[in-house]
Amino acid sequence: RIMPVRWSRYNPSYLEPEVKKESYQKPLEELTEEEREQMELKAVRPIKAAPPTLSSSVFSDPMISKFTNMMMKSGNKVLARSLMSQTLETIKRKQLEKYHKAPENEKVTIECNPYVIFHQALKNCQPIIGLSNITKGGKTYQVPVPLTDNRKRFLAMKWLITECREHKHRRTMMPEKLSQELLLAFNNEGPVIKKKHVLHKMAEANRAYAHFRWW
Amino acid sequence: TLRLICTTTAVQRKNVGASGPEKYTEAFIKKQIEEFNLGKRHLANMMGEDPETFTQEDIDRAIAYLFPSGLFDKQARPLMKHPTEVFPEQRKIQWGEDGRPFHFLFYTGKQSYYSLMHETYEKLLTVQKHQDQLIAQDSSIPLQKEKRNLAGSRWLTKIELEEMLLEKVSDDDYSRFIQLLQKLVALPCADIEEKYIQKFSKEVPVQLQKVVIEPLQYDEQGVAFSTGEGQRKTARATAVVYDNGTGKITVNGIDILHYFPVLQDREQLLFPFQFLGRIGKHDMVCTVSGGGRSAQAGAIRLASAKALRSFVTEKEVEFMRQAGLLTVDPRVKERKKPGQEGPRRKFTWKKR
Repeated sequence: RIMPVRWSRYNPSYLEPEVKKESYQKPLEELTEEEREQMELKAVRPIKAAPPTLSSSVFSDPMISKFTNMMMKSGNKVLARSLMSQTLETIKRKQLEKYHKAPENEKVTIECNPYVIFHQALKNCQPIIGLSNITKGGKTYQVPVPLTDNRKRFLAMKWLITECREHKHRRTMMPEKLSQELLLAFNNEGPVIKKKHVLHKMAEANRAYAHFRWW
Repeated sequence: TLRLICTTTAVQRKNVGASGPEKYTEAFIKKQIEEFNLGKRHLANMMGEDPETFTQEDIDRAIAYLFPSGLFDKQARPLMKHPTEVFPEQRKIQWGEDGRPFHFLFYTGKQSYYSLMHETYEKLLTVQKHQDQLIAQDSSIPLQKEKRNLAGSRWLTKIELEEMLLEKVSDDDYSRFIQLLQKLVALPCADIEEKYIQKFSKEVPVQLQKVVIEPLQYDEQGVAFSTGEGQRKTARATAVVYDNGTGKITVNGIDILHYFPVLQDREQLLFPFQFLGRIGKHDMVCTVSGGGRSAQAGAIRLASAKALRSFVTEKEVEFMRQAGLLTVDPRVKERKKPGQEGPRRKFTWKKR
């Protein structure tokens, strides 16, 4: 049995699995030729096994599972998952309270779906530009640098989690604090949004060093 | 460069033919072939069979009968095969008696590789010339490009190329050769050189459905059922899926709600059924042993997906395969290495 030391256990020719049911129910009138080529390629190549966190049910969301994994400590996925579900429940409860107390004309604007709130809050927290340390002539400068999508999502999630873990009273539970932060971020308020704005201002201030970037 | 670390031993087999100058002369191999044929006739006479129609299988059986060996290593047992299988194909000496080499590119060091590149480039130039001629005649580039089915064929691997050229090919050289071939194929009039290109491309089996789907079995009372086996890490599971059911799932005699208290595991169990839209239609009885809670869930998922193949059309089986439900997950716990605390974690670095 071969024991590969660094790379993945799968042969490089294995492709990623596609779990969503809708993509298999499309008839053959797909618009792009690329999709047809992809289909042909998939028919010939072997495909990796679907990971245990991924499923075709309506309830599995890749963003939520990524966030749960980041919240997890020492591999305790059960606890992280229960915290996540409790957070979503608290968000729903708070929004429903607001909904029932609000007058008729404002009821339409209040968003009750916790998944929509989660996605929108994450989107609002994502920075557009980041800083990177570049050493030139002995001095280290903070140079503004464009960020990839993955990096933006990672930073948003990391800021949310660190914010909740540090600035919270000893007695408050994590779901409560997280739901608070998510609702604030949904309305473009709160400490995480402030952090994002601070980062943008720093990048704007260091605009002069932008030409140090060579990639 | 492609460092194929996670491939099988068959692919990484050393190409003995391409490693270094020849070790056996041509005369030696000819003598070996004569001796082999003589020995074959003697053996046929000894066994009382016809020397003319004595096949390789008969030889193997005769040797196993005359020289029984209890050794465990199959390669250490007595062997009688044709010399071309025993001595791998090697390059003959490339220079004559006066010391002058035969090939004009001998002093480059990789004569076959460079001559191959020159040939391919010549073909490219001829195709371009042909194209220019067509433009000169019709003043229009013929777009007769029926796209070669890229998915159905693949280029030769580096090892296969080495076997063809009988000399070592480095990663860089190999990638350059493949780039040149792709450039040749990309031209519209490449159909002229189709025969030359086919020498370097191999057909991939069209569908990866080499697995045979078992037919449904029927038990007393006429209910259709089928079995499947699955594994994940150290867990082994067998699942029996019955038709006309209510959606009850039993694991080792216990209901899944009690056996898998975690939602994620139950989601994994129901994944194949939900994907096919058959949640309330099947009953399942499974047995599982070994592994942890997540590994057991993954093993049962694979077993139920394999069992469901018999209930479902071929297209849906292909959809299940593309969703990753039918592949065995090869990820296992990585071993601990000496000099490190775990598989990746190193010991704490102390300055002194």
